[in-house]
Amino acid sequence: MTIAADANESAIRTRALRMVYHPGLMQRSKVALHSLNLDVPRASIYGFLGQNGAGKTSTIKILVALQMASAGRAWIMGTDVIHPAARQHIGFMPENPYFYEYLTAIETLVFYGKLSGMHGPSLTKKADALIEQFGLKQSRNTRMGEFSKGMRQRLGLAQAVLHEPAVVILDEPMSGLDPLGRRDIRNEILALRDRGCTVFFSSHILGDVADICDRVCIIHKGQHVAEGPISALLNQKVVEVEMAFSGIGPEGLPRLAEQARRAWHDGRLYRLLAADDDEALRLRAEAEAGGGTLRAMIPHHESLEEYFVRVTGEEGELKLLLDRAAEAASKKNAPVEGEKAAEAEEGAPAP
Amino acid sequence: MSVWIIALNTFKEAVRDKILYVLTVFAILLILVSRGIGWVSYGGELTVTTDLGLMAIWLFGALIAIFIGTGMIYKEIDKRTLYTILSKPINRWQFVLGKYFGLLLTIYVNLAVLTAVFFGYLAMVGAPVTLALGQALALTFVEMTVVTALAIFFSSASTPVLSAIFTFLLFTIGQLTKWVVDLGSVLQQSAPWAEKMLLALYRVMPNLHNFNIRQEAVQAHELHKALAISPGETLNVVLYGLSYTAALLLAAIFVFRRRNF
Repeated sequence: MTIAADANESAIRTRALRMVYHPGLMQRSKVALHSLNLDVPRASIYGFLGQNGAGKTSTIKILVALQMASAGRAWIMGTDVIHPAARQHIGFMPENPYFYEYLTAIETLVFYGKLSGMHGPSLTKKADALIEQFGLKQSRNTRMGEFSKGMRQRLGLAQAVLHEPAVVILDEPMSGLDPLGRRDIRNEILALRDRGCTVFFSSHILGDVADICDRVCIIHKGQHVAEGPISALLNQKVVEVEMAFSGIGPEGLPRLAEQARRAWHDGRLYRLLAADDDEALRLRAEAEAGGGTLRAMIPHHESLEEYFVRVTGEEGELKLLLDRAAEAASKKNAPVEGEKAAEAEEGAPAP
Repeated sequence: MSVWIIALNTFKEAVRDKILYVLTVFAILLILVSRGIGWVSYGGELTVTTDLGLMAIWLFGALIAIFIGTGMIYKEIDKRTLYTILSKPINRWQFVLGKYFGLLLTIYVNLAVLTAVFFGYLAMVGAPVTLALGQALALTFVEMTVVTALAIFFSSASTPVLSAIFTFLLFTIGQLTKWVVDLGSVLQQSAPWAEKMLLALYRVMPNLHNFNIRQEAVQAHELHKALAISPGETLNVVLYGLSYTAALLLAAIFVFRRRNF
């Protein structure tokens, strides 16, 4: 495995990233990240998914230099994250961002702008433009202490994009937002990508991820279990067929209810779920024979949520076990080569 | 530049802290009632007024440093405001120094206000406003650079309660270092090891007693002296204070750089 990052290739790159927490004496260490490798393409929206405690926030904190990795390295736009210069390329919004309560919205943005190296009237102008863009114009001179969660979230995104970074890292940007707030953040993420920015974000709201991400990475227990474009990851086979019939009352047809995966009346139409195309055709024929008229027939493919459950469930556990066994076996078989590689990685210059 | 931006923001934060005003009002009250205490005291009432005024400025300066400074960095971590700051292209040492200079600026502005009130009051009651008093206050300002650095050091490593306890403890021990040496001399014959231990303690602990020339400053007028201590001694004390401050700040940066948030 090579440790040197190609500056032209990835916006974010990690190699063998490992994070171990030592809670204290007499307590067992906790491995939050196991040798994580990531390659986030430039100008893309990259969803970073995992259950609670999977290692998402640890990864993000290493990328933005809030934590130092126990081993491995990470680069942002080709610069090692341990250098402050890497953060010139980053805009970061933590989960539930907090700001100084005594500062107003405009003072907050000017403060962060100055820390990012901006100054003068152009900074105030840019801050004002963002305040307007994020719908906070009425609250320009309101202290942060009076801001609602949604408003803080929007200002959090504004401070992250203020200095027009190449990479925007967002930790749970939609958490706790109402549908309108989520839509605004989603639209802003899409707009950022259209302007050539790379957006890397973690989320639990898989519907939003599926809607806007170009690629996703799923990590489970500190190790990545799946990565790629959503369309390539999900099972393209039809996993279920939903049909809707008129002409069948709420009491339904007992034979259909027995054969279908699920049958119910939604108050207007009688609905059936079939396991596959063949079963759907059979059920359709029976429903029509019973007086029903087909109104809709919708094939369902695997959703991101179903895929997520699959790869972080038993299948994911098995993959982890196999990966770790393979890793252990390769270390056991070639300890000298492994050590040499590690030394080479240690000594490799930052790209 | 980043140090100054963070310092200015810290100053804004500190001047909104109610405790600053409570302590300032108490200090002003103490300066104003010092005349009354002078009347009922043995000795010159103006001497007591001057002495108490100097002490009030010193004590309340230190209390502000301890009460505000010890929670300063911890609060950033606890409220997670630190996350958005450290993700900007700044070094951690810039953050620590920014917090330090911001708090120091707050304390200096506060001490300047108290000094103005003090000198105004002395002039009003007809007490002499001398260069020696200015010298004593200047050393109080230098002492505050050390006490603030102590508070920031503990704040970078611990919780506000523990930081306040440690800072207060070292502040108190720092006032007594002269007696630590005296005690060592007494024990020289009976327990030489104790003398060595006390001497080591004296060398490591902040020798804040060095900055206390308040008594000498009050007496300088009566003794027809312009200064409380010589310029050479003053320079030594100032250099000691600045060196100790630099060492504490380096230690704070060392601790803070290694922390994960």
